[in-house]
Amino acid sequence: MMDAVTIADVSFSYSGPPVLERVNLTIPEGEFLGLVGPNGSGKSTLLKLILGILNPQQGSIRIFGEHPERGRGRIGYMPQMTRFARDFPITVEETVLLGRLGKTSAFGFYRKKDREFARRAMDEVEVTHLRKRPIGTLSGGQLQRVLIARALAGEPDMLILDEPTSNIDMRMEEDIFDLLQTLNKRVTILVVSHDIGFISQYIHRVACLNRTLQVHQTTEITHDILQSLYDHPVHMVAHKHEPFEEG
Amino acid sequence: MDFFQALSEYNFMRYALIGGLLASVACGIVGSFVVVKRISYLAGGVAHSIIGGVGTAYFLGFSPMLGAIAAAVAFSVILGWVSLRLREYEDTVISALWSMGMALGILFLSKTPGFNMDLMHFLFGSILVIGDGDLSLILALDLLVVVVILLFYKQFVAVSFDEEFARLRGVNVERFYLLFLILVGLTVVLFIKIVGVILVIALLTLPAAISGHYVRSLNKMMVLAVLFGMVFTASGLFVSYVYDFPPGSTIVVLAGVTYLVSLTFCGLLRQTPIR
Repeated sequence: MMDAVTIADVSFSYSGPPVLERVNLTIPEGEFLGLVGPNGSGKSTLLKLILGILNPQQGSIRIFGEHPERGRGRIGYMPQMTRFARDFPITVEETVLLGRLGKTSAFGFYRKKDREFARRAMDEVEVTHLRKRPIGTLSGGQLQRVLIARALAGEPDMLILDEPTSNIDMRMEEDIFDLLQTLNKRVTILVVSHDIGFISQYIHRVACLNRTLQVHQTTEITHDILQSLYDHPVHMVAHKHEPFEEG
Repeated sequence: MDFFQALSEYNFMRYALIGGLLASVACGIVGSFVVVKRISYLAGGVAHSIIGGVGTAYFLGFSPMLGAIAAAVAFSVILGWVSLRLREYEDTVISALWSMGMALGILFLSKTPGFNMDLMHFLFGSILVIGDGDLSLILALDLLVVVVILLFYKQFVAVSFDEEFARLRGVNVERFYLLFLILVGLTVVLFIKIVGVILVIALLTLPAAISGHYVRSLNKMMVLAVLFGMVFTASGLFVSYVYDFPPGSTIVVLAGVTYLVSLTFCGLLRQTPIR
């Protein structure tokens, strides 16, 4: 079996001190990996490197054995919802169809096949009944599912989700992770979160990032590991309304 | 003589109406993207700097419309590049290029004999002197804009809605952004005869913005924006004929008043964010 992601000795800095230092990480196919770390720990930077939006100054990254710019075609990406223009006039179905880009013909409109894949993806995350709705009218949890459907529409072998449960309530959060657990039967999943207490029951391993990266089996996570990651006392179950202080 | 009698008797009135209706098509489609992507300032820059191309063409003895098309393409690419590469200084650099383009055009025009009338035409439009050639040019640019948009509709939507996702799905975001700005430039050219480069930004954004008050999907927004554009140009022409107003300005005032009324109406009706 091939590794989905191989990160070897990667360092990165924008134009100051290093954001990432000698990061090593291998994600085998079929894994459900959590990536956690406080704000400013380099999570977004690492994601951008994996997706080939940034290039590492040192070290190498391979996605399914290829350079990220080629390999990322096999990744379904779900960005953070907060970065979203929710007043954009676009329906759920049109949003999900965007996931077909790269798989469909470059010219003209979407084909019948694209609509079928979009339909299947919407069925899978149970948003088919919303397909004619403008995205501006959806609840946080509904939009989150739509964005997962968009990522699934491109028939990915791996899903990368950036904070999939920010801005939604606890019950919705459980629903989303139950869904991800089902999807994990056929795709590799990397999920970024700062709610480690909650996700630890779903993920296989957790990668703790704060400039450097350490990977733990979820059974190994102890209070001490978390504390060293966040540089100050934390609770095992993070509270969203309790802002992390800069360490 | 009333408006409809004039329409049936005078070629120039018919040409004015047909020209306005045709131009509304490209305007509604391109304008919808300009509004949802929020680049009306950039579009304004492209529109005004076209005067630079017009002036240069006059001075060198080329056709001014040819100069306008060349400038539309050149300034779209330059301004697009600025907006992609120098995001922090975007507004300053666009302002500089915007006014420099115009100033350059006026410098060249001032060194060309008999420039005064022509400059006014390019700035404020001359819908009543549209000829056969102008109609053919409007039709050709119209077709070009519509065909390119239809051909790459998916990519244009993706780039306007979620640039990062589009890039990850293999869409060349920069290329489509520049291509879109070129279409904006060409749409402006198509409107030069009708309302001129100063007022064109109103027709590029207002019909689409009004549509955005009532529909929540891009393709419906486009259809409605085309219809609004047609209503504004036709009724503007009518009002300007009856009261002997300049047609270009009448069209723009009608569009502007409708936009403000619609904005107030929608703002009172619901508390959702509107454009």
